[in-house]
Amino acid sequence: MVLKSLSDLRKIVAGGPMRKLVLAAAQDQHSLGAVIRAWKDNIIEPILIGDKEGIQNICASNNYDIEGLRIIHEPDMDMAVEMSVKMVSNKQADVLMKGKIGTSTLLKHVLNKEWGLRTGSLLSHFALFEVDTYHKVIAVTDVAMNIAPTLKDKISIINNSVSCLIKLGYVMPKVAVLGAVEMVNESMEATLDAALLSKMNQRDQIKNCIIDGPLAFDNAVSLESAQHKGIRSEVAGDTDLLLMPDIEVGNVLYKSLVFFAKAKVAAVILGARVPIVLTSRSDSEQAKYDSILLSAAASK
Amino acid sequence: MVEKVLSCKKKQKIAVASAQDDNTISAIYRAVNEGFAEGILVGDLSSINETCRKKDIDPSRFSIIGTESDTEAARLAVHLAKTGEADIIMKGLVGTDIFLRAVIDKEKGLLIPGAALAYVGAVEIPSYHKLLFLTDLAVIPFPDMNQKIQMAEYSLEIARTFGIEKPKIALVGASEKVSPHFPNTADYAQMCKMAAEGKFGDCIMDGPLDLFLACDKHSPEIKGVRTPVNGDADILLFPSLESSNPFYKSLMLFAGGEIAGLIRGTTKPVIVMSRSESEKSKYYCIAMSCLMAQN
Repeated sequence: MVLKSLSDLRKIVAGGPMRKLVLAAAQDQHSLGAVIRAWKDNIIEPILIGDKEGIQNICASNNYDIEGLRIIHEPDMDMAVEMSVKMVSNKQADVLMKGKIGTSTLLKHVLNKEWGLRTGSLLSHFALFEVDTYHKVIAVTDVAMNIAPTLKDKISIINNSVSCLIKLGYVMPKVAVLGAVEMVNESMEATLDAALLSKMNQRDQIKNCIIDGPLAFDNAVSLESAQHKGIRSEVAGDTDLLLMPDIEVGNVLYKSLVFFAKAKVAAVILGARVPIVLTSRSDSEQAKYDSILLSAAASK
Repeated sequence: MVEKVLSCKKKQKIAVASAQDDNTISAIYRAVNEGFAEGILVGDLSSINETCRKKDIDPSRFSIIGTESDTEAARLAVHLAKTGEADIIMKGLVGTDIFLRAVIDKEKGLLIPGAALAYVGAVEIPSYHKLLFLTDLAVIPFPDMNQKIQMAEYSLEIARTFGIEKPKIALVGASEKVSPHFPNTADYAQMCKMAAEGKFGDCIMDGPLDLFLACDKHSPEIKGVRTPVNGDADILLFPSLESSNPFYKSLMLFAGGEIAGLIRGTTKPVIVMSRSESEKSKYYCIAMSCLMAQN
């Protein structure tokens, strides 16, 4: 199955058992609304850990009905995060979400050697975009986590993303490795990595997907552009996953899609034992909700 | 943009290298018909005539010069500009590398000594409230400080030609923070200092700024960042081709954008468009170059 829109994620979630989402330092205006909406829609079962009074105040001032909602009181933010992560590592929760704390605090606990959520894989950011000018949802990685991934990092990033896509129902997703040009150019390292990744895929060193690159953005998403340039590729024009060369490129593209192309976006951190939802203040309410939906779908 | 060009009195002569291309000939023809350009088509004679016939265009409306090869066509077009017989040159159905090699030839080319070549584009996007200028979109993979300074100068000059007296230029990064992880951000900080000292003339420059802070007027408040660009950028200067290329292509393919652009760093405007660009885009480029050529 291929996602045509982000709302298709609902169908995936609807089939399985209710996922438990733990919101770490839950006294957070910016994430509570989306969490409660997802709860009301039967997408997740939330566990809120944080300052109970703070949580109740926010809910009261926004008229959220929280009858029956599980809240664990822990006023110390650092302790609240630790407790949240431990709940996940004890398999009492399926998704971790960041509340009113910095990303670095959350990650410090996630990466804790004793009771953290490491899997041996790199953590990476994975985003799904729905733009009405593309014929399906397009996944983009990594636009927010890894600054300048090495070849080895890129392999991990692809593997993380492909496993996620498979959980969402994809079979052999098409991966385009993005370059400024579609030719291998020895002065642009991204194009060299792209060639290596493609070859490693052909040799089954990177499995369960079809990788091609370097592809320039237009070749990756438009068959017409690819044909005009005479590019023969199974991926060109039909990309499911677009791999960014680095965060500078990813950040620009992500913001271009959201701001200029009015894309809907859902994002999750992959590579830990469970999906992690990290939203920021500038994300829309809908994006936060869709990110929770994605993480629930990806937590199989 | 086109209105501005149509108000120009003097016609600009455009020499096209390897002109035997449908969209290019149609675009030139439109500019000729609208009275702001004259076309000099350089290339394979029979293909040029054939293309005109196919498009139902009268070839006698152009001057046509036959050449044997793409390299010869590129050199001849450059020569015409060098000797003043053309005001603008344009790439037709010839590879960008062959074309640019003729342009940057030290003796016979059009490169201003010591100048960096850089591409400045102007995009019209339904979701943005004005024309947005972008640089560099085609030439310098990873611009150094000196090249970034020139990119800023070129784009500011073009924005001013379009009537923007005090352009707002955002130096684009992944965030607004100067960071050792991003060497570009140190260049940006220095450039802002230079701008404050007046090096770039009347303009507002700030960076690093992410795309939201540069173009979304709500973003500075949401993020609590104070920037004089304030979500109202006229120009975006990019740290690499790797970031600018997917950016402008995403605008074209996903956000309904239309682009025009030209190369600066040369004595005459140079139009380089991908062979796959539409007639409309090529026409806009011609209009933009005509506007630049008369200034």
